[in-house]
Amino acid sequence: MQSPRAAVQLVQLGRISYSQALLEQQRFVQRHRNRDPSRPAPDALLVCEHPPVYTIGIRQAPYPAEEERRLALLGAEFFRTNRGGLITFHGPGQLVCYPVLDLRGFRKSLRWYVGQLEQTVIGLCGQLGIEASTSPDTGVWVGDNKICAIGIHCGRYITSHGLALNVNTDLSWFKHIVPCGIVGKGVTSVSEELGRAVTVEELLPRLLDSFSEHFGRDVTSTRTAPLPPG
Amino acid sequence: MAARGVLRCLSSNFLSVLPSIAPSVQHSPRLLTSISSFQRALATSSRLSAALKFTDKHEWIRVEESGVGTVGISNFAQEALGDVVYCGLPEVGAKLAQQDEFGALESVKAASELYSPLTGEVVEINTLLADKPGLVNKSCYTDGWLVKMSIDDPAELEALMDEKAYERYIRSIED
Repeated sequence: MQSPRAAVQLVQLGRISYSQALLEQQRFVQRHRNRDPSRPAPDALLVCEHPPVYTIGIRQAPYPAEEERRLALLGAEFFRTNRGGLITFHGPGQLVCYPVLDLRGFRKSLRWYVGQLEQTVIGLCGQLGIEASTSPDTGVWVGDNKICAIGIHCGRYITSHGLALNVNTDLSWFKHIVPCGIVGKGVTSVSEELGRAVTVEELLPRLLDSFSEHFGRDVTSTRTAPLPPG
Repeated sequence: MAARGVLRCLSSNFLSVLPSIAPSVQHSPRLLTSISSFQRALATSSRLSAALKFTDKHEWIRVEESGVGTVGISNFAQEALGDVVYCGLPEVGAKLAQQDEFGALESVKAASELYSPLTGEVVEINTLLADKPGLVNKSCYTDGWLVKMSIDDPAELEALMDEKAYERYIRSIED
């Protein structure tokens, strides 16, 4: 069958604040929600890097105001979000990817979707010679160290939030938290595993190829969304 | 013939009849099988007769004798989610319009929104789920119920899918 594959629109947001990225995601979520019922809106893949920020998901109880204040003193922002997953860190050198997809075009299962995101990153790591795997804790692991965190929100089949792959992240930021609430395990990055400085720019094309392969979509570039000043 | 006679007795007064026939059951494997399959049918028909209605977002609502509706998610939904680790539920007293977001379930680091099947007020939430969120997977139609709510507009309830219509809907959307 030679019919063209449906495409996912790549939106490169560059270095963008966490709050701006939330607004951008909502723009694309609304595009799905407001669509003409007879015509699906395009799926989008938002890609960016954030200044240092700690974020938590809907399980808010482990992170009261004192915890928020403690982390803010470290010089990072702090956000409470509507995604799944516990606390994580985003910062420079980390490739953050927010797929805003309508799962009705794929499989109507969050379990499947999260699994495909994990496989996308495992495939990318494999290409680099890094042996990554899944574990009972969602995310992508190299042994006992997490190389990529995943946390998703889904409403009416539209996904938001996504994955955060440590490429050249300063991992010391993770020392101040129990990443994803999992005691006794660590974090790692692509640069750590390969013993050389790898950049987000270097990895992005490979991540997009792996995404294409695992989701059966071509990723097309359009003009980038406007970046905030400064 | 004898088995059919016993089953008629069971249908009229299930619990009190069963102990008295137990001794004879030991000697009649065919009777045992007939009784156990009837038990299963009775259990199913009790659930059906309580009239579960379904939304296209895979939530069900069952109207209790009190007129209050118990709300949960379907087997299709719990399988698609994976193991539920957290249930974010509304406060008692929350007023919901049909299709309002009223909470979220978390599984595999994914938070999935819940939508109110009807217009009404939350009168009770399932506090067992705080310690045992997995009940939503293990027992989605009974112990894993999410909230109970008043039913402000019975016409909304009428418009929901019954069990057969929901089964057809599942088949039509399954890959």
